[in-house]
Amino acid sequence: MNTVIADRLSKTYAQTNKALDQVSFSLGKGEVFGFLGPNGAGKTTMVKLLNGMLEPTEGSCLVCGIDPAVHPEKMHRIAGVVTEHAQMYDHLTGYENLVFYGTLFGIGGSESQTRAQILLERLGLNDAKDKKLAAYSTGMRQRLSLARAMIHRPEVLFLDEPTSGLDPESAQSVNQMIKQLAKEDGTTVFLCTHQLRYAQEICSSYGLIDEGVLLAQGTIEQLRAMVFSGMTVTIRADDIPAEILSHRTGVNEYEISVESEEDIPPVIRQIVDQGGNIYRVTAKRMSLEEIYFALIEERKGGGRR
Amino acid sequence: MINSMQMALIKKDIKSITANKRMFSVILIVPLVLTVFMPSIFILSAYFVPEETSDFQQLLELLPSSQQTGDLTRMIMALTINNIMPMFFAIIPIMAASVMAASSFVGEKEKRTLETLLYCPLTLKQIFYSKILASFVMSMAVSLISFLGMTVVTQVEILLLTGSMLLPDINWVVILLLVAPAVSLIAITMIVRGSAKAQTVEEAQQRAAFLILPIVLLMVGQFTGFILISVWILLGFGAILAVIAWIYMQSAMRKVTYEMVLN
Repeated sequence: MNTVIADRLSKTYAQTNKALDQVSFSLGKGEVFGFLGPNGAGKTTMVKLLNGMLEPTEGSCLVCGIDPAVHPEKMHRIAGVVTEHAQMYDHLTGYENLVFYGTLFGIGGSESQTRAQILLERLGLNDAKDKKLAAYSTGMRQRLSLARAMIHRPEVLFLDEPTSGLDPESAQSVNQMIKQLAKEDGTTVFLCTHQLRYAQEICSSYGLIDEGVLLAQGTIEQLRAMVFSGMTVTIRADDIPAEILSHRTGVNEYEISVESEEDIPPVIRQIVDQGGNIYRVTAKRMSLEEIYFALIEERKGGGRR
Repeated sequence: MINSMQMALIKKDIKSITANKRMFSVILIVPLVLTVFMPSIFILSAYFVPEETSDFQQLLELLPSSQQTGDLTRMIMALTINNIMPMFFAIIPIMAASVMAASSFVGEKEKRTLETLLYCPLTLKQIFYSKILASFVMSMAVSLISFLGMTVVTQVEILLLTGSMLLPDINWVVILLLVAPAVSLIAITMIVRGSAKAQTVEEAQQRAAFLILPIVLLMVGQFTGFILISVWILLGFGAILAVIAWIYMQSAMRKVTYEMVLN
């Protein structure tokens, strides 16, 4: 069963500013979906629509079978949200904040305390749990927000730029936790970010958005197939035979495109057979970033809309 | 009617104010001035320099004959307790409700904690009613404590100066049970309605300050001897306020949407 379904979802602000245009996708249980695009692409609008904070201009959405525009409070029971606009109370300690949000989600006092303690330990905040939030760094606040979003064990987590402001070490521990949640608890994660490299590390599928239009959706393989499914091989050699179709990128450095790894050995053999010396060979598939820019390019060229 | 989740929100809102020294001191200082210092000044001047209080002459003439006891000092003291103080007192629930509601609605918006609350499994109306109730409870508590404080201080003063007490009359029942709750609710609703536009707590509080205007007009009327606030006027005034408060709050609540709150 699909956990999150968006069906031709559109949102227009002030009758003219189209933030989202006919966006459709569906996410399965335990999927980590990266909703990727530059600032202002419509990512936060999508999170707000999926949480019932905004009413769609057109289309509809369902989260675990609940329409957030009709029953937002029921939908909130099974969803957790982290956004930069959803902060916690500075005059309370980290622990007090979590216990408060626990009770706000209908969890009993002692159960809230137990869960708060577990989450604080899991997110490495145990030493700071009795400090007022005012003394927390941005990274600590971000981790506490994540703990807050998980206190009621949601089935779906909406994370809007969850690692912004985190140091690399904290970002890595947050990543591991997100992966673990999806894998072990079957939590569906809807992750918005403009950091494409970061998304590639943890997401199992992607939606690429630009100016409110969903450019593509699928796994990285599916997205590659839309642009170029082959590989780019970089070869450092003193000479490359003319019959090999290559593109010179630097001194003794050439780039060739192949369909698969099987195509690489014949090329190497050919260079060596003709007396060329090879110093280095690297092969890579298109990264998410490259796919994204290729798709944007394609759209701007008028190929897609 | 109120579930445990709403109760958690109400407790948190009240605790936020009592833990904030700056806000809490505002809530305490105004009632202290209005209910302890001011009546004391009236009572002491009525006792020591009754002739100086001739400004009250026109007002005293308006008093019903049953209260025209002939003892000028005690008449002025009775006028202070039962006719003048109730008007000043009405400022207290307006002030307490505005400070509390501004912190509860606009303060949360300013500190970006309101959006977090909206993601909890309560309807928007439940969240708003909880917050209104928190402000209302706080405002009523401050009003009641102020009244008790004023009564103790003024009665001790009057007892020491004149040998017998002058207990508050029925005006106070109307003030405490009708006028104070109604003006609190109006002040809170004004803040709630303005909270979509107001970006800072101060901005929101300024709106509620307009509520003090009709009270000032009543005071002017009273001091110039134009009207005497009798229990019937007060009752009618309170009933009208209560109806306005209820209609005003209901219409404000009908318009509340997530989009408006997050704007």
